[in-house]
Amino acid sequence: MTENITPALAKFIAEKILKQANKVIKPDEALISSGLIDSFSLMDLALFVEDTFHVRIEDTELNAQSFDNLNQLSELIAFRR
Amino acid sequence: MAITQILIAAAAAFFWGTVMRERGRAWFLLAASVVVIFWLQPALPMRGFDFWIPVATLIITIFSWYITANEEARRAGKNRFVIAVVAGIVLLLNLTRYFPVTQILTASRPPQIEIYFAILLVSGLAFLILTRLAKFNAALLSISVIALILIFLAIKIPALTYWVSYGLRVLVGQSLTEVKALDFRWLGFSYLAFRIIHTMRDRQMGRLPAIDLGEYITFVIFFPAFTAGPIDRIERFIQDLRRPLIAPGNDDLLIAGQRFLVGLFKKFVVADALALIALNDTNALQVNAAGWAWILLYAYTLQIYFDFSGYTDIALGTSRLLGIHLPENFSSPYLKPNLTQFWNNWHMTLTQWFRAYFFNPVTRWLRALRVWKRPLPMPIMILLTQIATMLLIGFWHGVTWNFAFWGLWHGLGLFIHNRWNDLTRLRAAAWAVTPLRQTILNVSGALLTFHFVALGWVFFALSSPMTSWQVILKLFGVR
Repeated sequence: MTENITPALAKFIAEKILKQANKVIKPDEALISSGLIDSFSLMDLALFVEDTFHVRIEDTELNAQSFDNLNQLSELIAFRR
Repeated sequence: MAITQILIAAAAAFFWGTVMRERGRAWFLLAASVVVIFWLQPALPMRGFDFWIPVATLIITIFSWYITANEEARRAGKNRFVIAVVAGIVLLLNLTRYFPVTQILTASRPPQIEIYFAILLVSGLAFLILTRLAKFNAALLSISVIALILIFLAIKIPALTYWVSYGLRVLVGQSLTEVKALDFRWLGFSYLAFRIIHTMRDRQMGRLPAIDLGEYITFVIFFPAFTAGPIDRIERFIQDLRRPLIAPGNDDLLIAGQRFLVGLFKKFVVADALALIALNDTNALQVNAAGWAWILLYAYTLQIYFDFSGYTDIALGTSRLLGIHLPENFSSPYLKPNLTQFWNNWHMTLTQWFRAYFFNPVTRWLRALRVWKRPLPMPIMILLTQIATMLLIGFWHGVTWNFAFWGLWHGLGLFIHNRWNDLTRLRAAAWAVTPLRQTILNVSGALLTFHFVALGWVFFALSSPMTSWQVILKLFGVR
């Protein structure tokens, strides 16, 4: 269920948030706890997920406890779709 | 919390966690937490109020549970029993006024029982009227959040606290010649208000699970975390509370014990020793040489960390004995390479609270905002949200100019780091291709961040902007 979600997320994070289109983000790489994505970009990611997958991510869920890598975020999205 | 109080609380937790285990654990947690809020409340010069403040804490908590609970949870028969137990414990504490010995569980001799009965009667009646009249909807929850914030302000703004002390003295007919803002102290209110507001906001968003009254009270006033956090989330807390406490393995006991002892050492050995030379209002005026000023500031910077994270270790160790795994609050914040990372690892449960209930909703709102049909420029949004959030975190500690400057300092620092990172990220990544270069970046970043945070503490440690500014001048050799 998550196979087409993860690449779309990885592409968005690399291109729009990190502005390094060639950067490869591993599916289990820590995104939030490592500081790769700051709290402001996290909202960009949430808005992207909401627009693209039509899944609501609550303000209280934007933290490393809810999801910290691409796998966890993809699962969250797939679960809610 | 004094060391004897900590040791007694930990001994009780150890006894229940290892001998009694699951037998009556939920009741023990509730009863112990109720007793502890009376036990820790400092003495107040207004007669009887060191007893009435914890009573008010309980009434607010019970009311908050009622308006956040769903119909089914409200009707459960167990709730009446919980209220009876809580009221009974308070009655027993009140009865200790007739003991001929000095008070052990309350700061001063508890007031007349008649007043307690009158308060029970009045709050019971008010409650009945409210449940008949008020509609339990989002508006009532919003009003309650505002009411909590108003109480918060009355406690945190010195000028208002003065008038609260004044009013309470009038109420009990005491002399008005000695009124001071410091007369009124509500132990633990900042933490309990934030735990309650979290449940109210989650209820408004329809995300709050069904919780019974006993669980709710235990969450809000949970004794290991009552005075110094962490601020847990209720859905996480009740999972631990509902999971039966099986015999703790040796590993569990070892980890809990280790955590507790490390906390005691950090707080009562390291922090208390550093406190002797840490920057304060008195020594700030006595020191003139830049070198000495830096020593005072370094001592304060380390003291506040060891003090606060020591208390957290004590809370985490004690609660782990009882099967409650409270969230971490600190993760080596002073070793982080930039200010954003520092704030991800300092008082984490407070910053997460502000992110969830302030920063994220405001950011979401600003993103959708159109000024002359155009979205706000990104840097403006970042500047606004960072400064507003950090000012509020400053005010959480106290509504004074110095906490405002401290919040502003960090808000600006976070904004500058964000912009700097945006500008240099690619170049830094291209330069730091060897482990040595990466280490050079990390170490220099950590040193810079540490000193930025330390300079911010000048405003936090001292009470007047003037003295703080003089200390900053001294630090840089300008007099």
